Amino acid sequence: MADGGPAPAVAVPVPVPGGGAPATILDSLGEDITRIVGPVSTCMLIVVLLVSILSSPSSPSPLTAALNTASAAGAGDDLTSALITAGTFVVCVTAATFLMALLFYFRCTPCLRAYMGFSAIWVLLALGGQICLLLLSRLRLPLDAVSFALLLPNAVAALAVAAVSPASVPIALHQAALLAIAVLTAFWFTLLPEWTTWALLVAMAVYDLGAVLIPGGPLRVLLELAMERNEEIPALIYEARPVDPRHGQNWRLWASRQPPAGDFDPTSTVEVLGTRSNSADLDPSLRQFLVPNLSSNPANAQAREVLALPETRVDIAALRVPLIQPQPDRTREDSDSHDEDGIGLGSSGAIKLGLGDFIFYSVLVGRAAMYDYMTVYACYLAIIGGLGVTLLLLAFFRKALPALPVSITLGVLFYVLTRTLLENFVMQCSTNLLMF
Amino acid sequence: MTVAAGAGYALIALGPAFSLFAGVIAKKPFLVLTLLSSTLFWLVSLIVLSGIWRGFLPLKSGAWWPYVILILTSVAFQEGVRLVFWRLYKKVEEMLDAFADRIAKPRLCLTDKMLISLAGGLGHGLAHAVFFCLSLLTPAFGQATFYVERCSRMPFFLVSAIISLGFLVIHTFSMIIAFNGYGERKKSDQIFVPVVHLIAAVMTLINLAPGGCLIGTPLLCVMAALTLQYSWRMVGQRLTEHEH
Repeated sequence: MADGGPAPAVAVPVPVPGGGAPATILDSLGEDITRIVGPVSTCMLIVVLLVSILSSPSSPSPLTAALNTASAAGAGDDLTSALITAGTFVVCVTAATFLMALLFYFRCTPCLRAYMGFSAIWVLLALGGQICLLLLSRLRLPLDAVSFALLLPNAVAALAVAAVSPASVPIALHQAALLAIAVLTAFWFTLLPEWTTWALLVAMAVYDLGAVLIPGGPLRVLLELAMERNEEIPALIYEARPVDPRHGQNWRLWASRQPPAGDFDPTSTVEVLGTRSNSADLDPSLRQFLVPNLSSNPANAQAREVLALPETRVDIAALRVPLIQPQPDRTREDSDSHDEDGIGLGSSGAIKLGLGDFIFYSVLVGRAAMYDYMTVYACYLAIIGGLGVTLLLLAFFRKALPALPVSITLGVLFYVLTRTLLENFVMQCSTNLLMF
Repeated sequence: MTVAAGAGYALIALGPAFSLFAGVIAKKPFLVLTLLSSTLFWLVSLIVLSGIWRGFLPLKSGAWWPYVILILTSVAFQEGVRLVFWRLYKKVEEMLDAFADRIAKPRLCLTDKMLISLAGGLGHGLAHAVFFCLSLLTPAFGQATFYVERCSRMPFFLVSAIISLGFLVIHTFSMIIAFNGYGERKKSDQIFVPVVHLIAAVMTLINLAPGGCLIGTPLLCVMAALTLQYSWRMVGQRLTEHEH
């Protein structure tokens, strides 16, 4: 139904490459994926930096690390205790998610939001304060105790409010607060012993797969409840910033949304969580309706209107849902923070990624950073590749999918391969100044 | 080495890559995704190569002929991977064209295709620089630096940074030449790329001789300049003939 978009100019390419060619689809294609890959990369980068700065002075070089891991296997960090720890963690998370589903079923939303706020404040205050103290002492920054005691609670309060009630703060602050929470939690997880961390990652990936896809799984139950009631689950989810329509071409498929009557503001960048009730479209068929999306008016509209005015079609762009229909995404609860896991589409249509995914990706990369930077680069590429594959599957299947399994599998695989195969090869070649 | 020196070496190896990224690639998100996926591709090819050679390492440092075989197999494998990358790219191009038709937008023009091949080549070059040069720099911060016996005039890190720079240029621009050659079926382009890659890799063998790096590294830079010039000429030709 999309007829003439912006008029394609007759293409006469100028001799300079990259010069004034007419706007093609290449200009803005894939922008929404970049808007998710960017924050994930930033989170991983900050965790790697923190791990490098704060790791113990005797951080292992590639040679000594090989010796150490061989001998440290018996220091209480062996496989069985790691598996037991990981198993216990998964059981706790399952129980907590079922509890959350129960609370959601009884419409006890204040409980959930209170828990969300409490966990955000806890992470920021306790973990954040501890890491700040470690940084201050390691980098020998001059800051006295009184200023610190004044600055920390204020910053924590601001970030916690920004994380918990996104509708009242600018979206950049909300995203920054979520990233701060993810970074702090991920750093704390990297302090676990090595085998425990890897066992935990694998266990969480398997749990994720089961909880979302198996019909009785806790996350699936929660998702179905949310879908039945057309409500958003109150949880900490990162939603990629919606693409500004005026930049790019609106090549996106639209979900049929209900626009609030007469409100055509295409620039409303709307956050999702918490207070909005979205009338999610459960019809899996793809239809190309150009509807202006969203205002932040929650209590809106059950009427379906389709805008057929050609001149508004082009302007509207926006809004979201790049490839798939919006589905509320699934939740997973962490033991100390009320996070959401998994990937799906927000009611505004942008890609939503649960904070738990950020955390576990960063834990994997942080743990790789404790060995060597070559593993960091390899695991980073593997995780981004896995995320890309998950997004492709999301476009294909059009329902909420677990974001952990593919990335964690690839990450662990690449870590093992790099550590065993690649490192020797590259060291051999480059110390002889042989490159290809 | 100090942080300042380390940053300097990293910028020698990666400076042009950063400017290309900031100036050309960061503007179009699809190119960023192409860069990431081609980096991943190169990494996978490197891992496969290291898997194949695992049984034969460590090589005795005296003999030089195992290194010749290493270089030959590695270059051959990577050129094969380039062909696979080309096939994938054709499929993606078809999908993009079909998509563009569906939403009534113009198809990919010539500069778009060249930009995609530039991003692909830059991904390969970036992966090379990161894994061969950068990953050895960062653990070495601290006091003192490292010299290799055979190359006692320059610090090891400086030599590896310059070699990485040369290879970055070679990889980036030979991808443009290669894609053009495969697309237009021009034999000269198709032959040029593997030959240049092979010659450049063989030149690093000169580094095995004592004092060889003083000869090998500048020659490598000459190869990089050659690739750059060939690519410039080819692109200029294509664009002018496309205009008419």
